[in-house]
Amino acid sequence: MIFIHLVILAISMILGFVFSYLAIMEEDLLKAVIYSAGQGVMFSIAFYILMAPDVLLAYIAIAIGIYTALLVFVISKTERKEVV
Amino acid sequence: MNAENLLFMILMIAFPFYLAAFVLYSIRIVKGPTIFDSVLAVDCLSFDLAAFIAILAIYFRSAFLATSAIILALWAFLLDLYLAKYFLKREVGI
Amino acid sequence: MISEALMYIGGILVIIGGICDFFGALGLLRFPHFYVRLHAATVGTIGGAVVPLIGAAILALGCDFLGWIRYPIAGMSFITAILILIVSPTATHALAFAAHRSKAIEWKEKVCDHLEGVKR
Repeated sequence: MIFIHLVILAISMILGFVFSYLAIMEEDLLKAVIYSAGQGVMFSIAFYILMAPDVLLAYIAIAIGIYTALLVFVISKTERKEVV
Repeated sequence: MNAENLLFMILMIAFPFYLAAFVLYSIRIVKGPTIFDSVLAVDCLSFDLAAFIAILAIYFRSAFLATSAIILALWAFLLDLYLAKYFLKREVGI
Repeated sequence: MISEALMYIGGILVIIGGICDFFGALGLLRFPHFYVRLHAATVGTIGGAVVPLIGAAILALGCDFLGWIRYPIAGMSFITAILILIVSPTATHALAFAAHRSKAIEWKEKVCDHLEGVKR
């Protein structure tokens, strides 16, 4: 198999799709933030296989680092369960 | 055997173990009854992904791709600290 | 001659890291509650991420067909290994401390608790 990087790309994209769907449908807001961080990790492998290191560095810092910190800060000011 | 075939064979043997570990960590993120289990699984997933990235950089023969391993490890560490501070003090002062 | 030996040593370390990683993930899935899963997480991070990174550094030093690129790859892998070795126990310790002090997870078979009467 010369094309092992395509297998990794396919699996990481499918897992990223599953995490993003679960992040929308979740009621507990803190768990949805963790699903969003997991989706960021999966997309960062995809950027790596597509050979874009500059996009990868910026994406890791924003989607895992700053985005989850900002959302946890906002959730600490309001309530934790989503009221539909 | 020459060096390139040896490198390819090492990668072929180690590759399914890493992929199986990534899928099992993802199952624990979805399934965890509390938040702490999910955060622990994201943390372990990021560290093992950083190790896998450094191994693949040898296969792709590029020096710039290996810099993202350090970045992934350090930001995953900060994610743990945010959530620990949220649960201890009920407020995250950034 | 030396480069062949370096490649074999690096390859063995990478494969050992892969096996440790798989067993760490399996333990994270099968253990009963959170405080026991921390032991499996230790195997997953130290055996599954520090050891393969040192193995990748040695493996990169042994590949002669890469030219001068092998030195930056080996250096960055080695520094990442040292960083994960320092950072990972700190993170899991902070998580376990927050879980115990905020009483979010109850510890059922309690024998002795040194942090019981300590006020923060």
